[in-house]
This record gives sequence, structure tokens and C-alpha cells, in this order.
Amino acid sequence: MSLEPGRSLWDSGGMTIPIIIDGHAIEAPDGASLIQAWIAAGLPLTENVGCMGQGVCGACRVLVRREGERIAAAALACETRAEAGMQVAFIDHFPARRPHAYDLDAMGDSWSALGQVDAVFPEAKHCRHCGGCDAACPKGIEVQKAVNLAVEGRALAAGALFDHCVMCNLCVAACPEHIAPSHLGQFLRRMANSLTLRPGDLIERIRQIENGSQAIDLDAPGAQP
Amino acid sequence: MIGWEQALATPRDAAPPPAFDKESLLRGFHPDHAPGAMVPLRVGVSAGQPCPAALADLLQANALVEDVDIAGRAMREAEVLVVGGGGAGCVAALTAARAGARVLMLTKLRMGDGNTVMAEGGIQAAVGAEDSLQRHYEDTLRAGHFRADRALVAAMVQDGPEAIRWLIQQGMGFDLAEGEDRIGGHLRRKKPGGATAARLLSFRDYTGLELMRVIREAVLLTPGITVLERHPAVELLTDPHGRCAGAVALDLERREILLARAGAVVLATGGAGRLHLSGFPTSNHYGATADGLVLAYRLGARLREVESFQYHPTGIAWPPHLAGTLISEAARAAGGKLFNGLGDRFVDELAPRDVVAAAILREIAEGRAVAREGCAGVLLDTPGLEAAQPGILAKRLVTLSHLAHRAGFDPAREPFLIRPTLHYQNGGIAIDAEGRTAVPGLFCAGEASGGLHGLNRLMGNALLELVAFGRRAGAAAAEAVREDRPRGVGLTHLAEWERGLVAAGLPLDRRAPMVFPAYGNVDLAAMLRKRVAA
Repeated sequence: MSLEPGRSLWDSGGMTIPIIIDGHAIEAPDGASLIQAWIAAGLPLTENVGCMGQGVCGACRVLVRREGERIAAAALACETRAEAGMQVAFIDHFPARRPHAYDLDAMGDSWSALGQVDAVFPEAKHCRHCGGCDAACPKGIEVQKAVNLAVEGRALAAGALFDHCVMCNLCVAACPEHIAPSHLGQFLRRMANSLTLRPGDLIERIRQIENGSQAIDLDAPGAQP
Repeated sequence: MIGWEQALATPRDAAPPPAFDKESLLRGFHPDHAPGAMVPLRVGVSAGQPCPAALADLLQANALVEDVDIAGRAMREAEVLVVGGGGAGCVAALTAARAGARVLMLTKLRMGDGNTVMAEGGIQAAVGAEDSLQRHYEDTLRAGHFRADRALVAAMVQDGPEAIRWLIQQGMGFDLAEGEDRIGGHLRRKKPGGATAARLLSFRDYTGLELMRVIREAVLLTPGITVLERHPAVELLTDPHGRCAGAVALDLERREILLARAGAVVLATGGAGRLHLSGFPTSNHYGATADGLVLAYRLGARLREVESFQYHPTGIAWPPHLAGTLISEAARAAGGKLFNGLGDRFVDELAPRDVVAAAILREIAEGRAVAREGCAGVLLDTPGLEAAQPGILAKRLVTLSHLAHRAGFDPAREPFLIRPTLHYQNGGIAIDAEGRTAVPGLFCAGEASGGLHGLNRLMGNALLELVAFGRRAGAAAAEAVREDRPRGVGLTHLAEWERGLVAAGLPLDRRAPMVFPAYGNVDLAAMLRKRVAA
């Protein structure tokens, strides 16, 4: 977003595109993302915004219906450019209906890890295969397949499918069984790393620090201008 | 200036760039050195220090609230109050809560929607056999032009490997080197610009996203932490002895003031990119408006190196709707080269960021830039990178490829047009090795703090800093609350502050913090007036 404080977002004077966001009929500058269109229209922005364009925070979730389409699809407003006739609604954030609580430190014996998947996410086995989560995901993750793999006990494979999840939680909203897929994915990935990632070079360096062989000389020659 | 088509048709010459004097390059072309960019601060404990004019206006402003505004407002109690919900705030909150403190977190946006989640390049920790803590220490000092605090840098560097272990224990993943095992294998290491060893650890090219989603989940599942989202802090509270004792927050949902009283406060409010210093675009998140600096300075916290900002070399220059968006240094760390419009390399791509950014601005100023639809920049040669390492764009630079897709081109066929973007506040609130500021009861961690980076930060030291000092500040804050409980909490510090403004001939009606950028169309004053009217 290249602009100084007080300057308008787009110098354009160029083409504009009529869209509707949250009931406001606005003229979006050509090429603007939905979130840029919102502020260019002078509307106040205090929520549904975060990284503002990088597409990694998941704050700007919207439902978008394109002209001539019947179905509204989920998207991120910072990644989606305005198209003529688009109808857009920001989606509020709300906590998952029930917390799926666990404590990685208390997991102890890794033989019990797979059992924990069902203990913490008992709803996962009730997947109806409706595909709602897949349709909701703005990142194209195979959410339903991941949930099913998790139920089969294939924890690493299931977790890997959530590799680039931004935790926008649209799949949580979409799931009629309250499975909370994104949090399930997060659980699987966290569990796998905390139980099985033990880099040898890291462990060796920590050992050296503990036995004093990595002391820092604050005034070494290389620390002088 | 060279046109886009012509620049693409010009063969790129991979010969090494010519040598030049780095100091005169920085003086000539780095935005920090532009004439008139800095003004001396006129009030407060750091009076006399140079500071960007736009930031000085905020630092030398009056408070948004006064005594009458806080009378009779709802009060929340906590032992440790954490202001800011990005990486540093979440790490501090986790650490304090696990040390037994009751923690309240205030955050302007949602927890996690800060710069950490966008910091994708990686995190530094000296784990390589040929590397050492000493080298990491010296690299950090040198990159910062020897202006960083030695004890702070040593503390951060020493914490590095343990910080990585801690992150893995929270469930964070790290890439392993090709073909290495999960147990006993070696981590994938890349060489950050300005470093002497491959020390950058990463997860794909979205390390910050991985870090943030893991830490956020940990905060949500840790008993003893209450998170209030959409609650920016607009002022700090003090007790009659000048000790920081909490904060005044604005509940954006209800448009009401809320008081949070605490035995210790950790400020983790991040940076200032949304001030758009010198008219630059920014890679920062929407809330990066220097609020923490403004609040802490008013209370008497010392600032350091606030004249120094990092302009990341590779911001998007075209297309305009993505201008300022960051292309991670991962692209250059992996071997990506920069070319001007004549098809020449003009700087060592892995020189420190301030040098690379200044060199790009030099190419633009001296007419060797490339212009595309009125946007000026230089080329980041992703086709050359893909040709040299087939498959790298799809496999290891996923975010970059995604970005190119959104910009509407194929990065394997077309280069990016890039120019520097305002990225990081190198200085900030002065702290000691436990994250204490000059104000009793007030701690600080993350980008808001100063002293770790001198005049230029090395890639990967920001994520390390927020883990190392988030933990240090969180632990020290939890320790500090047991000393005494705050009484007589209010805004007693403001009377002296206003006297200082008057004495310096500064206006009383300019108010800060800014909370949201001007183009966000948020009338904060009206929000506060509406509350008073109600």
C-alpha cells in the first residue's frame, strides 16, 4: 500500500468498479483489493484487517458473490481484487464453539499420542464428508481429507496437509459437526514437532553452551569498529 | 530510466557488481540520511536525540485521555499486563503465565495480526559446527554499525539455540537439510545478508506464520491468560511513585474506556511502518503506528536509535495495488540476483539490508532503474534463480510464487520489479538484559524495544529477539509483581508532561498515540467524544 498519511489511496482518476461491501455501494478503484476498496471509499477500518496484503494473518475473511453466481465463496479481502457487481460481506470472528484443550507438556509418553487425537477431537470421526471445509478454505487445503487421515491415525500425513494453513478458521465455521479442522491440524503439527523433531546440530550446540565452551568475549577484536 | 520491455530484452550479466564505498553510499542514498528527515526531540528524557519528524510529532504530543475520562471506568485486574498481541507479547504472556502470574493481554487488532506472522525469512541461531555464538555476536554488532548494546546482543545470541528448542517444544517446525532425519539430523541453514555463516533457520518461506500460529495456539490453551482483542492501549497508568501500574484501553467494540491495573506491564506494541516515513510504502501490518513508544516516552522511558529505520530492499514496486508488500530475503539468501535496467548487478545481494536498499535507491536516483507503468524499481531475477535451481520457486519459495500469482505473472518467466519498503524500527525503548525500561514496573520486548540492532538489523534477528526477550521480559515481569501491589493508580504523570510541552513551546492539542493510520478513516477523537457525551 504505497501512500503517505493523509494522501488518498489511489491517485488514479482512472476507472472504477461498482461493488457492494457490507451493504455499502461503492466505486472501487480499478485493480484495488477489496480491503483497499473499503478504505478508498472512506469507510472506517478497525477490524477484519491485519497483514494487509500478504495473505498470512487470516483477519480479512469475506464472503464474495460474483455477478451471475448463486453461491457465495469465502476469500481473503486483501488477496481478492474488486470485480464489477461483486457482493462482499466481512465475516466476524468468533471463538470455536467448544475448546479443544490439550497440554503438549503433559502428553508424556509418545505411544499415547495417536490416542490423544480422538481424546481431544472426538468429533473428527463424525465427518459427514460434506466438503464444506474444502469449499471454505481460501488456501486450497484438502481439509476433509486431512481430517479423515487424522481419524485413521495418520497423524503426520494429516498434519502435513495443513502445512500452509493461516488459521483463518473458515473451516471451523463451515463444519456442521464442530470438528474445528484448523485446530486439529495445528494440534497434529505441534504434537509431531514437539515429540519427534530433535535436530542433532542444535542439541550439540546447546550442550556446548551448557558446558561453557561457547563463551562470548564481549571485547574481542571482531567486536570493535 | 529504462522501460520494462527494453529491460527484459537486455541480457543480464551475472558478473560481480563493482566495488564502492559503503559509508558514502549510505550517506548519499539511505532515507535516514536525507536532508531534513530528522529533527531533535525537544521534550522528555531523550531530548536532543534525532528522530524522524513524523515520529517526533507523536512522541511530543499530549495524551488522548485525562483524569475525567478514566473516573469511574470499569477496572480489570491482573498481575502482568501485556500490551500487544504479536510474537513478543505472546511469548511474554506465555512465560509470565507459566511462572504463575495472572496475565491480561490487550491487543489492538486480533492476537497474532502483527508483523511476526509476516516475518517469513527465518530466525537466526548459531547452530552450525563451523559457526559460533561469538560470530553471531560480532556479525550482529557489525551489521548495526557497532551502535547496539553489547550486553543485550550477547544475551540474545546466547539464548539463540535454547530459543529454537523452546519453539520446537511449543510445537514449531523447522526445515531440515536435504535428506536429514527428524531425530539427530541437521537443520537447513541459510546465510542471512551481512552474516559470515549460514545461520538462518526457517520453515519453508513462512517461518513467521509458523511461529505465530504455534505461539497463538499455546496462548489460547494456557490457563491464566485473558486476551482482550480490539482493545488498543491509549495511555499507561502510574502509581503516585511514578511506577507503571497498568494501562487505559479503548474497547473498540463497545466504544468504552477500560482500565487495566497490574503489578507489571510488558509493552510489546511493535513498530512504526504505518507512519510511512519519507513517503515510503511499508511492509508492516495495519496497526504498526508506534503507539508503545509514545506511551512509554511520556512516562519517562528512554529511547535509543529512534533515528534509525530499516528499509527492506525488496518491496514490490509493481503492480501498484501490492506496492510495499514484502518479498522475503529468502529469495536472495537462496541465490536470487538483482539487476538494474542496463542488465548489470550493482550490489552484493547479501550485503547488509541498509547497503542493498541504499544501492537500489541510488540506481533509481541515477536513472538506471526500470519503469513499468510509471512504477520505478530494479529487477529481482526469479527466472535466473529458477534456471539455476530448477523447482526452487514451487518447492522452497512458496510465498513468493503465491505473491507473483496475485500480481498476475509467472515468476519463472518474469522478474519482480522491486524497490525498498519501510520495514523495521531498528531502535526503540531502551531496555536492560531483563527487558526492564527506565520506568519501574514497565518492561518492553520485541520491535518496540531498542538496543539489539544498532543502526541496522540482520535478517532473522527480529524473530530471535522477540523469543529471547519476550521470555526474558515475561519472566522478569512475573517476578516483579510480587514486590508490591499498585495503589492510587491514575494519570499523575500527565501534569508534568504537559508542563514540559508548554515549556518547549509545543502545542497541547496535538494528541497521540495514533492507533490507526489516517487513511483508515477512524476518528478516534470522535469515538472518545461520543463516549463522553454518553
